[in-house]
Amino acid sequence: MTEEPNLKEIERRAYMSYHQDGLLDIFAGLYILAFGLGIFATIIWDYSFGLIIPGGLIAVIIPIWISAKRKITIPRIGYVNFGIRGANKLTAIFIGMLVLGLGAFFAFTLVSSQGGSMQLHDLIFENGMLIVGFGSLIVCVLFGYSIGLKRLYVYGLIAAIALVIGHLTGIFFAYILFALAIVVMVTGFAVLINFVKKYPLKGDKAIAD
Amino acid sequence: MPISEANIKDVDRLIHEPSRLIIMAQLYVVQSADFLFLQHQTQMTPGNLSSHLSKLEDAGYVEVTKEFIERKPHTALTLTKKGRNAFTEYRKKMKQVFSDLPKVSEKNVNQKTKKKGENQ
Repeated sequence: MTEEPNLKEIERRAYMSYHQDGLLDIFAGLYILAFGLGIFATIIWDYSFGLIIPGGLIAVIIPIWISAKRKITIPRIGYVNFGIRGANKLTAIFIGMLVLGLGAFFAFTLVSSQGGSMQLHDLIFENGMLIVGFGSLIVCVLFGYSIGLKRLYVYGLIAAIALVIGHLTGIFFAYILFALAIVVMVTGFAVLINFVKKYPLKGDKAIAD
Repeated sequence: MPISEANIKDVDRLIHEPSRLIIMAQLYVVQSADFLFLQHQTQMTPGNLSSHLSKLEDAGYVEVTKEFIERKPHTALTLTKKGRNAFTEYRKKMKQVFSDLPKVSEKNVNQKTKKKGENQ
């Protein structure tokens, strides 16, 4: 007798298969890179650039990401519409990335500003990287769990370790962001190559029946 | 009655077939999917999938929409309201069938199997 199918598992597998193309990692890496550049821009030019660069990039990244999904992912594994629940998960990822990035930026600007008399400023000044590091770990674990991408746990752990090391050794925050961006993007490209090999294009007929 | 015969007989046989059950379950958890996605998820051959989809379409459980996206033919598959209700009903009945089964512990099953083996 056929046992009842595990719908949650089926949904999880369907969702996972759609995000095993590495594109999310590549664009997330680009986004981290933008925050690193934003920090440099605040030093070289003005504080506002720290917001303009990541903010501008997110406006560029989303259409490119959608286009890449259409050109790379859909012709290989097909199209699926997850409905409102699926859209909510993706929105949650982007909002989470935005919150994390802005949090990192504000932590940095507070650290950089000379308002050292306030206790909160002092606390952030002394532990800024630790706060961002553990914040990254929590956000990555939450997103990894909600969308079923275990790689995010590893990213969170790497970010936390790197930022703790940065805190202890005094490495510049932007350099750590660059290193993290490279790790995430390289992983994304490796996943993308694997995905392209696993699901080769079968010509125009592949999209039809 | 050890197992509710009425519940088993009432089970929708069109959905109960394993391949069609997988298709229905896949479409139940998404809003819509295309043929290629369903093929990857179900691991069926195009011919097999197409044949099962035709049966589900004939029953009014699946809606097949053929359209062109970027000049390429595209087949979108959606579970109809009738199909969704039928699948929900199927789940309910299957749950009922299993809940009607008498509870037998693993220990008892092992003992029975052992005794049977000894007698033989």
